[in-house]
Amino acid sequence: MEALLNRYTFAVWQRNALTWRRLMWSSLASNVANPLIFLFAFGFGLGSVIDTMQGVTYLAFIVPGMMAYSAMFAATFETTISAYARFKMQKTWDAMLSSPLTLAELLTGELLWAACKGMISCSCVLLVGALWGGVPSLLGGVLALPVLFLAALCFAACGLAATAHASSWEFFSYVFTFWVTPMFMFSGVFFEVARFPEFIQILSWVLPMTHLIEVIRPLATGGPLALTAVLGHILLLVVLTALAFTLAHHRLRRRMFD
Amino acid sequence: MSDQQIIDSAEPAAVEEAFVIEARALTKKFGEIDAVRGIDLTIPKGRCIGLLGPNGAGKTTTMRMIMGLTRPTSGSVTVLGEEASRLPRSTRARIGLVPQDNNLDPDLSVRQNLEVFGRYYGLLPAEINERVPQLLDFMQLSQRAKSPVMGLSGGMQRRLILARAVIGNPDLIILDEPTTGLDPQARVMIWRQLLVLKNQAKTLLLTTHYMDEAERLCDDIVLIDNGRILDQGTPRELIRRHVKPQVIEIRKPLPRHLPLSQTEDLGDSVLLFVDDAEAVIRGMPAETSFQHRPANLEDVFLRLTGRQLREN
Repeated sequence: MEALLNRYTFAVWQRNALTWRRLMWSSLASNVANPLIFLFAFGFGLGSVIDTMQGVTYLAFIVPGMMAYSAMFAATFETTISAYARFKMQKTWDAMLSSPLTLAELLTGELLWAACKGMISCSCVLLVGALWGGVPSLLGGVLALPVLFLAALCFAACGLAATAHASSWEFFSYVFTFWVTPMFMFSGVFFEVARFPEFIQILSWVLPMTHLIEVIRPLATGGPLALTAVLGHILLLVVLTALAFTLAHHRLRRRMFD
Repeated sequence: MSDQQIIDSAEPAAVEEAFVIEARALTKKFGEIDAVRGIDLTIPKGRCIGLLGPNGAGKTTTMRMIMGLTRPTSGSVTVLGEEASRLPRSTRARIGLVPQDNNLDPDLSVRQNLEVFGRYYGLLPAEINERVPQLLDFMQLSQRAKSPVMGLSGGMQRRLILARAVIGNPDLIILDEPTTGLDPQARVMIWRQLLVLKNQAKTLLLTTHYMDEAERLCDDIVLIDNGRILDQGTPRELIRRHVKPQVIEIRKPLPRHLPLSQTEDLGDSVLLFVDDAEAVIRGMPAETSFQHRPANLEDVFLRLTGRQLREN
C-alpha cells in the first residue's frame, strides 16, 4: 500500500477546507446551536424526571453521547451527501482524477476532511456542554477528542463505502434510516444500552457508535475505565475503518475506471 | 510577460520518446456495447492530432484510455513511454486534460480553481503563486480572478479549464471538444492560445465537431466511426484521397448533361464533386443557380461517415 498521508492527500483536504471556509460562520453557528437545542430539550425535559444515570447527572450523561452523535453525523454527512455531490453532480472527482492524484489519495483526503468536520462539530458540543456545567472531567472530555477523531474516520469510511454503492440520492435515505438513526437510538446517546432488552443490545454492539460512547463517556464523566476494554473498542473502530475504506476504494475503482 | 515565456519556463522532459502515444489494437466494451473495436494509433512528439467522428464514434473512450482513466478491454496503449493503465505520477504530471464537461469546481473562485489544481499536480506554493497569475493572464482571465466560477460565461469557463489543464506545464495536452458551444470570438481566442502551446513543441490530441477547427489546428486527422479508424492523414491528403478537389452546389432542378460521377443529394440541391469546375460551369445553362468552392474536410467527413443523424 502506498503512503496515503502525503501532500496530495493534504491537497484534497485543503480543497474541502477552502470551500468550508466560505460558509464557516453559518456552519459553526449551526454546530453550536444544534447541541444547545438538544441539551435544552433533553436536559430540561428528561433531566427533570431522571435524577442520575450511571451515577452522574443526566446532563453529564448526555454530553458525551451528543459529542459522539454530532461527530458521527457530521462525518457521515460529509462522505455521503456532500461527497456524492462532488462525485456525481459537480464531477469534481472526475476533474481531480484527471490530475496526477490517485483514487486512494482522493478518498483519503475526503476521509481526513470528514473526520475534521466531525471534530469541529463535537468540539462545539464539548464547549457548550462544559459551559453548561455538564462535563465533570474537562481533562477527560479533551482526552476524548482523539478517540472521537478515530471514530469520525470510521464513520466517514462507512459513509464513503455507502457512496461508492449509491446510484441516486434516494440511496442515502437507507443510510440515514438504517444506519444513522439506529446509532442515534440504540448506541447509548440518551439511555444506557444495558436498559434495552437483550436482542436490542446485540444490535447495539454491532454499531460502532456504541463502542465509541463506551470509551468517551467514562472519560468525560470521570468514571472508571478498563484499559483492555478501551483497546478492544478502539481496535474494532480501526478494523472497521480499514474494511470500509477498502470496500469504498474497490467499488469506486470499478465505477470510475471501467 | 509574453506567452512564450510562460511555456518556456519548464524544464525539458528527461527522456525523449519517439512517440508520445502508441496504441495497439485497442478495444473497449461497455457491457454488450463495443465502444472501441481495435484502434492503432501512433502520435509523434510536437504534433497536433485531431480525432474526428460522429457522436458515439469512440473518441472520448479512446482519449480516456490514453489517459489511463478507462481500462481497455484488450490491446495496449503507451503514453510518454509508460503503459497507460499504470502511469507513474511523474508521467501523469506531464499530461493535461480539457474534458468535454465543464467540471470546474463550483465552490471555488477562478483563481482558487487553478491553485487547487496546482497542488494536485504537486507544485510548490511558490510555483503556484508564480504560475497562476501567468496563466490567468495567458487566458485573459486576470480581471475575473476572484469571481465565482458559476458567474463566468461559457467561453471564460472553457478558457479557465484550458488554463487548469496546463497548470503543471504538460508535454501532452488532451482536449475533448475544447470549443463546443462557444461563440466565434471565444473560439478564435482558444485557437490562438492552442497554437501558442503547439509552437512550444507540446503534443496536442483533440476532438472536435468543427471541421474548420480541425483544418486550422491539426497536422493530422484521424477519422473514426463505430470504434474503428476510417482513415488518417493531413487534411489535404484526406481531401485528395476521398473527394474531387472542386465542389459545385447546384439548386434543383438540375440541368441535363452534368458529370454525375461523384454527387451528394442535399434535398433541394446537389453537391457535384469535379476535377475541373470551370468546364462544368461553362457547360451549364445561364439561369442555373449554383455555388462553387474548393472541397473541404467536411465533405470528406460526411462522405466517410454518412449523412444519417447520430442520436446519442
